[in-house]
Amino acid sequence: MTFAHPERLAIVLLLVAAFALVYRSIERGASQQAYVYSSLAFATAAMRPSRWPAVAVYAALLLGVAALTSALAAPRLLVRVPVKDGIVMLCIDTSGSMRATDLVPSRAEAARAAALTFLGAVPPGARIGIVSFASEAVLVQQPTADLDAARSALDRVPPPNGATAIGDALSLAVAQLPRRGTRAIVLLTDGVNNRGSDPVSAARQAALDGVTIHTVGVGTNGSGQLIPGTTEPADLDEETLRAIADLGHGTYVAAKDAGGLASAFRNLAGSTVWEARKVDGSTLFAASGGVMVIVAFLAGFAVGKWP
Amino acid sequence: MIGSRTRLRAALLQKRRRYGIAGMAAPRAHRGDGYEFSELREYVAGDDPRRIDWAATARAGTLQTRILQEDRALTLAGALDASPSMGVGRTRSAYDRGLEALAVWFTLALSDDRCARVRANGIVADPHRRGPSAAHVCLAERAEPQRSFTATLQVALATLSRDASLLLVSDFYDIDEAEPALRQLAVRCDVTGLLIADPWRDGLPLAGFVRLSDAETGAQERLFIGRRERERFRQSILRRETAICRRLENIGVRAGVLNHDAELALMQSFGIAGGVIA
Repeated sequence: MTFAHPERLAIVLLLVAAFALVYRSIERGASQQAYVYSSLAFATAAMRPSRWPAVAVYAALLLGVAALTSALAAPRLLVRVPVKDGIVMLCIDTSGSMRATDLVPSRAEAARAAALTFLGAVPPGARIGIVSFASEAVLVQQPTADLDAARSALDRVPPPNGATAIGDALSLAVAQLPRRGTRAIVLLTDGVNNRGSDPVSAARQAALDGVTIHTVGVGTNGSGQLIPGTTEPADLDEETLRAIADLGHGTYVAAKDAGGLASAFRNLAGSTVWEARKVDGSTLFAASGGVMVIVAFLAGFAVGKWP
Repeated sequence: MIGSRTRLRAALLQKRRRYGIAGMAAPRAHRGDGYEFSELREYVAGDDPRRIDWAATARAGTLQTRILQEDRALTLAGALDASPSMGVGRTRSAYDRGLEALAVWFTLALSDDRCARVRANGIVADPHRRGPSAAHVCLAERAEPQRSFTATLQVALATLSRDASLLLVSDFYDIDEAEPALRQLAVRCDVTGLLIADPWRDGLPLAGFVRLSDAETGAQERLFIGRRERERFRQSILRRETAICRRLENIGVRAGVLNHDAELALMQSFGIAGGVIA
C-alpha cells in the first residue's frame, strides 16, 4: 500500500493522538458515574474481569479513526486484477516420453490435470489456446474466452507418441497470438528438442513480438527413466528451457511430481492473466473506518449487556 | 409457643455456639432456680422433683422436667462497623441494615440488663438505666463518625466488662487488621458476629463496561462485566461468606450472615433455625 499524499500522514497521526486523548479525558470525566462498592479489590478478584473486550473496543476505535483519517492521505492499494485482453497459449508436449510413469499416473495425465488447474485459476474473459506437440506441432484449440471449450479441447490432445518439436510448437503458438495485448506462452515439456526448428530462435522471435514465454520442465535429468518403447533416456534439456524463459522474459519451473506441476501451473495462471494494479483506496478507508468506529461505539454500549 | 426473642435470650444465657474458648468447648447452660422458662426435657435422675411439669408429663407419657433459666442480668453490647464500605447498599446501606440488627439485639434486654453501644469514639450507655430503657439510649443516636472497625473493637476491649454479650455487625473487609482485637474480645466477652451480606449477593445488576469505585479509598477502575464475570462474582460472594463465618468461629465468635432479616440472622448465628433450636 502506498499513499498519494504521504505528507498528510502526519496530520493523520495527530488526529489519532488527539482522539485518543479526548477519549481518555471523556473516560476520566465519567468518574462521577462510577458505582461505589465496598471493596474494589474484592470485586476485581471475585469477577476476574476479562481485559480483552475493553482492549478490543479501544483498539477498534483507534483503528477506525486511523482508517477514517488515513483517507486524507489518499491511500493507493495494490490489487490483483484480471489482465485486459490477456491471451495465453498452452504448449503441451505429447512426445513418447510423456508416457513415463514417474509422475502419477503418467506425465501426460499429470500435464492434463495441471492444464485443468490452470484453466480453473484464470479469470473469466481471459483467452486460452492449446497447442500440442510431438514430432510436429498441432493446434488443438484456438485462443478462446470460453473456458469450457478449452477444457473440452484438452480431451482432444493426442496420446503421447513421437519426437519433440519444441521450436515448431513455439512458432505455431506465436502465430495464433494477435500483434497487441498481453500475450504469453506456457510451454510444458519433458524432453530435448529433436525435431523441427530451433527452439531458442523461435523464442527469440516470440520475444521480439512481445510475447512472454514461461517454461515448465517435467521429470528429472539422469533419473534413468527411458522413453517407453525405446532405449533412449528420458532426459530434460533444462538449459534450453531456461534460455527460452530468459529470452521470453518469463520463468522456468522444474516440476518433479504431479503436485509440483499443478502448483506451477496455478502460479503461472496468476502471473500471466492477472496483474497487480494500484487503485485509490480513499473511499474504502473512509467507509471501513467509519463503520469500525460506529461498531466499536455500539459494542461499547452493548457488549456484556446483550444477550 | 415461645417467641423468637425469648429463645434468642435463652440461647445467649446458655452461651450457645460459643466455640473454641477454654472451658467452653460445649454449649454451657446457665440453668438454675430462676423464673424464666427455658425448655422442657425428659426427666433425668437428679432433677428436682418440684420441677416436674405434670401437664407435659401427662401429654408426653414420660416424666418431663421444666428447665428454668438462671435468673441473672446480661450486659448487652453492640458495635456496628462505621467504615465507609458500610455506606454501600442497593435500597438501604449496609450501615442501616446493621442498625436494624442492633435494634433486634437490644430488644433482648430485660429488666436488669445493662446495654451499651460501642462506637469508635467511645461508649454510648446510661449507667443509671437498665433493660429496654437502657437499650433505647443505645439506639437513640443513629449516625456515628466513619472510622475503621478496628478502632471500635479497641474501644470495646477497653470498656466492656468481662462476660458481656457483644454483637458485632460488619462487612469484615478489614478482618485481617481486626483479628487480633477480635481474638482478645472473644476471650473476654461472649461475641456474636454478623457479616453484612453483600448488597449484590442476589445478583450483580451490572453488565457491560462499568466503572467501579472503592468506598474506602475512592480508587476507580473500569471493568468489563459479562455473564461469566457475574457468575464468578456470585460464587465468590458465597465463598467469602462461608470463609468469614468459619474464620470468626475459629477466633471464638459465633457467626451469621445478615441478609434481609436481622432476627433470622441472629437466630441462625445461635443455631436456632426457624424457631427450633438446632
